[in-house]
Amino acid sequence: MKFLITFAFKNLTRYKRRTLITAGAIAVGIMMYIFIDAMLMGAEYESVRNLKWYETASARILNDEYWENRQQLPLDLSISDPDKIIDRLDENGIIATKRISIGGDLILSSQEFGEDGNLPVTVTAIDPSTDNEVFHYADTLIEGRFLEQDEDAALIGSWFAEDIGAKIGSWVTVLARGNGGFYEAIDLEIVGILNCPNPNVNRTLLMIPFDTADYYLAMDGAATEINIKLSDLADVDAELPAIQELLNGDDLTVMSWTAMARDYLALAEAKRGGTGMILFLIFIIAAVGISNTMLMAIFERVRELGMMRSLGMSDAKIRIAFMLEAAGIGLLGSIMGVILGIVADFFIINVGIDFSFIMRDMDIGYRIQGIFRGAWNPGTIVIAFFAGILISTLVAYLPTNRALKMDIPSCLRHQ
Amino acid sequence: MIKIENVIRDYHAGETVVHALRGVSLDIDQGEFISIAGPSGSGKTTLLNLIGCIDALDGGEIEIKGEKVSTMGKKDKTNFRRINLGFIFQTYNLIPVLTAYENVSFVLSLLDIPEDEVKKRTMDLLKEVGLEGMEHRRPSRLSGGQQQRVAIARALIKNPDIVLADEPTANLDSKTGEDILKLMKQMNKKHNTTFVFSTHDKMVMDYADRLVLLHDGQIMSDERRA
Ligand SMILES: Nc1ncnc2c1ncn2[C@@H]1O[C@H](COP(=O)(O)OP(=O)(O)O)[C@@H](O)[C@H]1O
Ligand SMILES: [Mg+2]
Repeated sequence: MKFLITFAFKNLTRYKRRTLITAGAIAVGIMMYIFIDAMLMGAEYESVRNLKWYETASARILNDEYWENRQQLPLDLSISDPDKIIDRLDENGIIATKRISIGGDLILSSQEFGEDGNLPVTVTAIDPSTDNEVFHYADTLIEGRFLEQDEDAALIGSWFAEDIGAKIGSWVTVLARGNGGFYEAIDLEIVGILNCPNPNVNRTLLMIPFDTADYYLAMDGAATEINIKLSDLADVDAELPAIQELLNGDDLTVMSWTAMARDYLALAEAKRGGTGMILFLIFIIAAVGISNTMLMAIFERVRELGMMRSLGMSDAKIRIAFMLEAAGIGLLGSIMGVILGIVADFFIINVGIDFSFIMRDMDIGYRIQGIFRGAWNPGTIVIAFFAGILISTLVAYLPTNRALKMDIPSCLRHQ
Repeated sequence: MIKIENVIRDYHAGETVVHALRGVSLDIDQGEFISIAGPSGSGKTTLLNLIGCIDALDGGEIEIKGEKVSTMGKKDKTNFRRINLGFIFQTYNLIPVLTAYENVSFVLSLLDIPEDEVKKRTMDLLKEVGLEGMEHRRPSRLSGGQQQRVAIARALIKNPDIVLADEPTANLDSKTGEDILKLMKQMNKKHNTTFVFSTHDKMVMDYADRLVLLHDGQIMSDERRA
């Protein structure tokens, strides 16, 4: 065995250029694998965070019938006494905030915006005193100020503001159906612009104080949802039954963010599958490269092979010798690939790639606004390293077998 | 030692059949220094390959050390060669990335011989074939004659009963070729190893203790000279 290892290693030095080129191809494959994986990991990690921070919270309490009717944003399928529930949660150490989601039309006047217009909006009424304990909007304020209790004011997402031409101090009108079916027009002054990293939100966000909505829409203190913040590390689904326990008798249901974000999670899963295909292709290319290299290496040494077989070296040992040689190329490629991959990861993790030019106008599902940042994934680096060696080794099997099928006199006669 | 009985070997090349050996019979004793001579195409290589258990018989039988070659399977043949047979080739067939020492010692590593014994035997034998001081040279830094000396050491290192050499001097000038033959003969006498070598060179035939002339796959003459 020791001889076989020395032999394989020395053979690697025989065609240095070819060894390096093949190892280089493997290295590029491994680097791509590590890099793409880090980028996806980062995108998913950040997407999940941005989903929880700006869309779903960790969990949400809803009227039993709300979720299946959520498209209509029904104000009557509400939580009639949200403060009582929030107090109960608070007693159990759970942070929560109430909200109202309102469907309506945004009316833009020609004085303010140059031309008259209207478009559908979803207005989110928040409790300015507690919303930031659950969500993270205050941190995204880029202009103006945050909302105060009970004022006819609104916050707007920066892309939304850009799209309609709204500025701080602009006035907009929201036409909405109040609780009971009457129409109400609410005049609101834009007091702050939020640049929310979640593109879905930043494109559509219009936020008003809870009390304002309560007053104009005759909610009588009711909320449509209570959002709950759990620790980022918590297994949300495991904690739900205890929370549901607190709600018994109130016709309320608690849902985890995973249930609410099912569409996103399915999409992320599909993307992972798609990139899996790309990674598979990268490995196929590396495999073809090494198989070709080994084929050349073996067929240049057919006479040597004939000599070794004459002297009684078994097929198994010859196979091991060539597979070790391929493993050596794989090892070299894996080492180079992992180093390159780590360098690429440093870049994608610390600098990131700015995709905002795409994300601004296109929804690709990820809840990331512009800069894609990667995340370290040591598991992938280890897997890529060993996969590089393993695939190289296995791929050498076929060309070796082909050479071993030749009879020995033909090997010895080979030029 | 080696009993060759009415051996037939046909090669099929498309429609045509080449009768490379047409009933060759020959007995070779332990310690003989025998030359298979004949013009190109007469069947020398074919005969050596059959004795060397690297080709298959189409008829007849070869018995080496009491074992019938025709009944051996592929693995048996490999094992048999590993233990009993040494080969010397016209083109030396050394491994270019290995040193002279490694080219010889690897044969012993196939036989699971302990490392210190491998070292001693290899160094001693390289000295014996006149390569003292060149053990760590690669083939590219050895002359043709020196490379063939490495090959002789490689064939002899495991103390085989039989060494088969197919035109061992054909790639060498006559002076070097003679030196190689002298070395082979010296080894033959010292270790009592049977040497079977082929040639089409008159000078080489003169070194043989026994000369078998082959023509068109048949033995024309078989003469003992010593
Ligand atoms: N693999 C083969 N296929 C077809 N014909 C072969 C093959 N090997 C040898 N021959 C033929 O068999 C005959 C004997 O060849 P060989 O034993 O190589 O002779 P020598 O070594 O004396 O030159 C020649 O006619 C040669 O062309
Ligand atoms: Mg020949």
